[in-house]
Amino acid sequence: MAEERAHRVYDLSSAGRMLVTRNVGRRVREELAGVLESLPRGGVLYVDTRGVEFMDYSFADETFGVLISRAAGGEFQDRYVVLVERERDLLENVEASLLQRKLALLRVNDVGESPQVVGSLPEHLLNTLQVIQQAHSITNSELAARLDLNHTAGNNRAAKLARLGLIHRRVETAAPSGRQYVYEKIV
Amino acid sequence: MSVVNTTIKPEVRHRGAMSGVLTLGSLDGVFAAADVPGGEPVVLDLRSVEFVEPAGLTGLAVLIEHLSFKTDRIQLSLSGGSIPAYLERMDFFKAFGDRLETNIDLTPLEERSRHNPGTLQELVNFHTEEEIPEIIDRISEILQRQQYLVKERAAICATLSEICANAVEHSSSPFGAYAAVQAYHHVVSGRRGPGEEVLIAIADGGVGIRQTLSRNPDHAEYTATDNEAIRHSLKMGVSSSGELGRGGGLTVVAQIAARSGGSLSLRSGSGRVTTYADRTSSRNVPPFPGTFVRVSLPRLADRPQDGGRRKPARSAKTAGANAG
Repeated sequence: MAEERAHRVYDLSSAGRMLVTRNVGRRVREELAGVLESLPRGGVLYVDTRGVEFMDYSFADETFGVLISRAAGGEFQDRYVVLVERERDLLENVEASLLQRKLALLRVNDVGESPQVVGSLPEHLLNTLQVIQQAHSITNSELAARLDLNHTAGNNRAAKLARLGLIHRRVETAAPSGRQYVYEKIV
Repeated sequence: MSVVNTTIKPEVRHRGAMSGVLTLGSLDGVFAAADVPGGEPVVLDLRSVEFVEPAGLTGLAVLIEHLSFKTDRIQLSLSGGSIPAYLERMDFFKAFGDRLETNIDLTPLEERSRHNPGTLQELVNFHTEEEIPEIIDRISEILQRQQYLVKERAAICATLSEICANAVEHSSSPFGAYAAVQAYHHVVSGRRGPGEEVLIAIADGGVGIRQTLSRNPDHAEYTATDNEAIRHSLKMGVSSSGELGRGGGLTVVAQIAARSGGSLSLRSGSGRVTTYADRTSSRNVPPFPGTFVRVSLPRLADRPQDGGRRKPARSAKTAGANAG
């Protein structure tokens, strides 16, 4: 089973109900980065945007686009960002930014609920993510078998998802060959 | 030796039943005429103006800024009617009163208690991004009072903030930028009709879109003319810096305007481009010293409103009109 993850919830409306401009976005992003870094490895930062009336594209890109880009570059080392938001127009600018950057983010309606993907994720990676979500935790060989792929192809897909911050990847010691990758859902 | 005044007269437009409308196009010819020898007195003849929309007001602001570099003797010639009261209500004289002489006495207007019908953002001059959230708060309040839903307010405010941010970030304008917004209880763009409309106008006196994009050699093939540069700037991801994530604001604004059945007009240098849901038109215009943006966001009465929006009022109430 996937481990219970340490998490914190950041209420974005504490920064304002109407969030505009890159300057404001930069300030909020640095706060979010600070909270993310304070989490233990494997932890999840839920950014709750439900109290926000709107955010413009510039704010969305500077906050979420840049933050997720940094996370995908490995800066936050196995610490994850999840958006807490219903399906509504507010997501449009976040999605536009992530699409342009070819990034994706998990979204839940509420903490503890099943995630959806916001942003850019090719169909084959979406299928792989669904398999990992359903399994909660799965080894590379099991994943490859379920997707009808060889081990390398299965690992490549899962590695991409892990780099995007959509799943957690860890190494497990396994007899007799030594090590194997285990992929876990984040939420 | 007698001093010869240069007289500048904007070309007012007819729009449906309205005449004497001062709008973006009214100012097409005036900037060339405003290229007066240093120090020469200038008369701005607005006597034929009967209705000023935000684009006309911000254009007028830029024109006066432009003239102020050349002369300190600018006279504004106004007819009686509602226009002086409207200009006063929009804080026009607060911004420019010390630079202008007028042919009418403004004292009674200044002494009269100001009546803001809750449908307009007065002419505001801004220089930095830090000033934008306050402008947005004010617009959001206006729209809330006009019973615009959160979804609609979000679209309008996001539009305004993106354009304001572009104006201060890219333009290097010596006087910053001017913005004005008005919510009308009828549709004023094109043929006047039932429904409601919000007009947003922002103008700066900076280097313009073509020169801004020219900083990035990747855009070289799209910057031969102002119209090409403006059209290119509307594409997702096109920015002067070329940074990932940049260059999305104008694209989003165009999409929002199109979705509402309205339009986005950009005027910069000698180009003018207007985008609608189904087409984009370009034309060459006399040079404009900066960038000018006009956004029309109508709520048409005969169009089903999505997302359970309330039906626009059909009343002929004209709280948003110029009548003071």
